[in-house]
Amino acid sequence: MKASGSTGWKGPVKFRMPTAENLVPIRLDIQFEGQRYKDAFTWNPSDPDSEVAVFAKRTVKDLKLPPAFVTQIAQSIQSQLSDFRSYEGQDMYTGEKIIPIKLDLRVNQTLIKDQFLWDLNNFESDPEEFARTLCKDLGVEDPEVGPAVAFAIREQLYEVKTLIAIQNVASARESRLTKKGRRGSDHGSASKASGLSMDLVKLFSFKSSVVRKRKDLDVYEPVVDLLTNEEVDALEAREERHAR
Amino acid sequence: MATIAPNSGGSGEILPMTPSLPVTPETSSGVAASSQSAQPPSSSSDIECIYVPSYSRWFSWTDINECEVRSLPEFFDSRSSSKSPKFYLYLRNSIIKQYRDDHPRKISFTDVRRTLVGDVVSIRRVFDFLDSWGLINYSSSTSAKPLKWDEKEPGKSAGDAASDPPTTVKETAKRICNGCKSICSVACFASEKHELTLCARCYVRGNYRVGINSSEFKRVELSEESKAVWSEKETLQLLEAVMHFGDDWKKVAPHVTGRTEKDCVSQFVKLPFGEQFDKDSDSEDASETFDLVKGSPDPESEGRIRDGSSPNKRMKLTPLADASNPIMAQAAFLSALAGTKVAEAASRAAVTALSDVDHEADKNAGGDPNRQEINGGSSGETARNDSERALADAKSLIEKEEHEVEGAIREIVEVEMMKIRDRIVHFEKLDLEMERSRKQMEEMKNLLFADQLNIFFHTRRARKAEDRVEC
Repeated sequence: MKASGSTGWKGPVKFRMPTAENLVPIRLDIQFEGQRYKDAFTWNPSDPDSEVAVFAKRTVKDLKLPPAFVTQIAQSIQSQLSDFRSYEGQDMYTGEKIIPIKLDLRVNQTLIKDQFLWDLNNFESDPEEFARTLCKDLGVEDPEVGPAVAFAIREQLYEVKTLIAIQNVASARESRLTKKGRRGSDHGSASKASGLSMDLVKLFSFKSSVVRKRKDLDVYEPVVDLLTNEEVDALEAREERHAR
Repeated sequence: MATIAPNSGGSGEILPMTPSLPVTPETSSGVAASSQSAQPPSSSSDIECIYVPSYSRWFSWTDINECEVRSLPEFFDSRSSSKSPKFYLYLRNSIIKQYRDDHPRKISFTDVRRTLVGDVVSIRRVFDFLDSWGLINYSSSTSAKPLKWDEKEPGKSAGDAASDPPTTVKETAKRICNGCKSICSVACFASEKHELTLCARCYVRGNYRVGINSSEFKRVELSEESKAVWSEKETLQLLEAVMHFGDDWKKVAPHVTGRTEKDCVSQFVKLPFGEQFDKDSDSEDASETFDLVKGSPDPESEGRIRDGSSPNKRMKLTPLADASNPIMAQAAFLSALAGTKVAEAASRAAVTALSDVDHEADKNAGGDPNRQEINGGSSGETARNDSERALADAKSLIEKEEHEVEGAIREIVEVEMMKIRDRIVHFEKLDLEMERSRKQMEEMKNLLFADQLNIFFHTRRARKAEDRVEC
């Protein structure tokens, strides 16, 4: 393995989700007239905007929410989509970038805790496939867990990417102001500044072994818990208290 | 009938021998019935039946049909790597499975997209496609309800010339009362000036706006608008529903599109098929005649031969319709459909054919005199003799089958015994082999021991020789 810091450095690519399908994670949390609607799903930004209205109407009808929710839902989706689109104009620098993804979610009665490494610059990655396999392997029976896992992964990837994009913008502005040097150095500083990526080179150098350290073993192991109804209620109550 | 070759020492298994009942080609395999025309399956009433409209007959769990490729091209044009046909199959099959697990509850899009991994717009498209083709959320009453996404239907049907999506608008004449938001049935009161439609109850109660005078309403009779004549399709639906639900008219009415309970009951009473269930019409011939007569299944006019016992139609309907024997249920249904004359002729022909066969292969001791008497008077019989003869023939058939079954069981037992015997022989051989190898082992052990002793003695002798030499 080459010991240089930027193995596989390629030219800049347009901003997009680093997955095989360029899907945007959308999170909805709308409070209106005492009713709260929370949801999370993935959206394909290349779909026409008319789909947003249709989806909002459909959801309100299926869940029997008051009709005022339609506009709120549509607005929320549109704003998140436009956020995504605003990043799309920028360039991304590709290279190897391993980030840890943490899963800590509760879906109905299933609790999943997991941590694993994900290559942010692997554009063939597929969180949906990963989620499907995870649920199958862990024997998760609740079918709602799969999409939640895929969504969580996507969300974290999206967060990291936007963070990098913001930093890129900031550093690009700085460099323009101070007329600093090449883009290559910026790239290096940006990736180090994010502090999230791990240097694979360090991990796999000849001194340390490829096998994970013992203390990290528990962290990287998936844990699935099935909660009883009382525990679910207790957790929900605690979450609400925290939210307030 | 045993077709098993005994394997010596192998893992040969005998297939369960069931006296083969002729299986009708339309029996549904429980809930996993994939495609059926809109006919009730002839299996027992424990298994829930999922109805699928006949224009969706192409559906199969493992294949993708052309109309799917046409309607949802995004999955098949390899534009994006993960929108593959496999993904489409996963979406479609999971949606349908989810719907069928919770049948008859209608499944909503939100239920589906919460449990499927994928982007919601693709899921919605597949869901809409399945919905419009009646593969999910299909019940005969939905076709009367106007769909919210009706504008898509004409677009799709214009595109798919070959396919035949459902016509959703059946009755344009259903009027909703502005006052109580219920469907007006018998008569309603319309005011052209104010564009209001009120049902009779609201009109009488004065459930309308203050400024309107009651004289401004015109009475519109709706019973004329609904069809007085029952179409073929409706009659078919009615019969299906009655066979399935029996007396429960509340369930029958929604199954028959566009008819109220009262309509259904009155139509059912009018149908002249009470006599059908006294006869025993043979299934094969009846189905043949049904194929021939398919063009005109209208119930014939009255004046049929009524048997001595004038049966209550409904009572006769249930015993045969619920028969655990699928053939009988099928026969009952078909005879109801085919009309009195046809069914009578069919049963007579079938019974004659049966009796001829029996006459030639006259085996059974019991029931002979009865049958011979019937065979003697085979010409010019009345309906009652037909049925008695059929009964006797059925009995003889049963006895024959019992004999056959016994013979089959005997053979099975023999074969099993032979197999066991062979296995024992094989094991004995193995035992012998074991003994032989054990003996060999013993010998070798002894030899080894002898060798060890030899070596020991030699070494001792050598050592003694050494000592002597030294000393």
